[in-house]
Amino acid sequence: MAELSGVVPPVRNRLGRARALHWGLALALLGCCFLSLQIGAADVSLTALLGKVARGEALGAMERIVLLEIRLPRLAMGAMVGAALAVSGAVMQGLFRNPLADPGIVGVASGAGLGAILAIVLGAMLPGWFLALAGNQLVPWAAFVGGWGTTLLLYRVSTRGGRTSVATMLLAGIALGALAGALSGILVYMADDQQLRDLTFWGLGSLAGASWAKVLAAGPLIAVALCVAMFLGRALNGLALGEATAHHIGIDVQRMKTVAILAVACATGAAVAVSGGIGFIGIVVPHLLRLASGPDHRMLLPNAALLGAALLILADVIARTIIAPGELPIGIVTAVLGAPIFLWILLRRRGFVEV
Amino acid sequence: MLSATGIEVRYGDHLALRGIDFRARAGEVSAIVGPNGSGKTSLLGAITATVPYRGAVMLNGRDIAGQRPWELAAQRAVLPQAARLAFPFTVLEVVRLGLQAGTSGARDEVPMLALSRVGMTEHAGRSFQDLSGGEAQRVMLARVLAQVWAPVADGQPRWLLLDEPVASLDIAHQLQVMDLARDFARAGGGVVAVMHDLNLTALYSDAVTVLSRGRCLASGHPRDVMTDDTLSEAYGCSLRVSVPPAEGLPYILPQSAAQW
Repeated sequence: MAELSGVVPPVRNRLGRARALHWGLALALLGCCFLSLQIGAADVSLTALLGKVARGEALGAMERIVLLEIRLPRLAMGAMVGAALAVSGAVMQGLFRNPLADPGIVGVASGAGLGAILAIVLGAMLPGWFLALAGNQLVPWAAFVGGWGTTLLLYRVSTRGGRTSVATMLLAGIALGALAGALSGILVYMADDQQLRDLTFWGLGSLAGASWAKVLAAGPLIAVALCVAMFLGRALNGLALGEATAHHIGIDVQRMKTVAILAVACATGAAVAVSGGIGFIGIVVPHLLRLASGPDHRMLLPNAALLGAALLILADVIARTIIAPGELPIGIVTAVLGAPIFLWILLRRRGFVEV
Repeated sequence: MLSATGIEVRYGDHLALRGIDFRARAGEVSAIVGPNGSGKTSLLGAITATVPYRGAVMLNGRDIAGQRPWELAAQRAVLPQAARLAFPFTVLEVVRLGLQAGTSGARDEVPMLALSRVGMTEHAGRSFQDLSGGEAQRVMLARVLAQVWAPVADGQPRWLLLDEPVASLDIAHQLQVMDLARDFARAGGGVVAVMHDLNLTALYSDAVTVLSRGRCLASGHPRDVMTDDTLSEAYGCSLRVSVPPAEGLPYILPQSAAQW
């Protein structure tokens, strides 16, 4: 290949930059984890506790509970949910070939929301043994089933003869989202005062209910979905050229779409189930990463997991300290941070991408 | 050898191709011509397994129906008519997309060589979305060339399947692109190109297939196929074909725009 010498101009290697960014984000995530364990409404800090352990002093019961039963599960849930939402967003955007797509658009989030509202409002009508069995897991699981069912229905509507039409799926997602919203509205109308309060807080999104039980309920689903999503990078890159060309360069487009949809349903359903409607992470995180290191999905997906986790942990720290000892729903924090960025993306867009 | 037998393509109630036989040999540039809606792109769609079809398409002796996308991608590359890109990939990143998974090491050499073939080397770092139509078309051609860089691999010819490769190019780049296609064929590969320009077709193709209303009107060497009668019938207008003795290849003059 001597022919090449002299013809190669210096070309920015964005993949190299994305790899460097990867390690930077990993460090940032560690920093956010430390912050999350260090700061809180209670006067307990990680460094003080570690100092005690180093001196061989016993930890107080309160300190132990704050750290191990409150802050640590909350940290784990924030990381899981943040990574799940950001990666789901990146995969959806690659799948729809539209940088503004989000799991919210295809109705997965609305379906999950309907499930949760059903459980909150009508849950009391269920037989007592079932309620006893489900305990406080009823709402998360109902949300998960709602998101999953919506995805299956959506897939059924938009797939004909083994081919999924992205345009049909987008339109069907809007219709299903509207339907889920209307049904949710009816339920809200039926709800009593206490239920309305629960609904409002769930809808705004919060990590306040974090517990090891929830982490264990949603963790495996999110972990599997994220691992699967990491293998979609090359296929999503090819899909940027359109479905026909993706097929021509050797990508099994139909199988890839099936896998991507299932991964997104899993990750989003599980995340919404435990944390409610946390918005904008799925749009803002992939967009910032594309600006920083290019759209190559092979690095975009792992980087989105790291940045999503770090941002949500940080947002949670803000949410639970800014009005301490009170606490803002985290959805408010992400919306205040995310909505202006979303508008900025819209203003900066040079052209519209065809669905 | 690329052969398609009894190809039917249907869009709803509309029969776009009505049982066509098509053959292309390695080492040759095979052109498909015909008026709008004659089924050119549908035929290419069947050959590339992009549209559902009835009939059989054999690529190097194997039916394409039973092959996985990556097996096909190793044997043939496809240039689409128009390319849109969803995200701001650079020119070099777009050309790289055509490489098979696992190609590593000197990963950028083939893409950069392909870019230099189409004269786009100095644009390697630009965003693909900022290119003009003609530049984008040439970058797509570089991507396709990079995908099947060696015209012969493992003793089997590889194929370039091009849908209107010169559609949005100026005349110098039209010649450049057709030269690249001919070089690929001369080196042992196969080229199938859907063409609009009849004179370029006469100049560059070794075999021409004329389609009309979903049927094959004629096929063979340009000298035998590109005649007054065949072309006038296919396009529904009066065309005069001359063969200047110096070149020995047909050139086509339109007679009038009026319906023939």
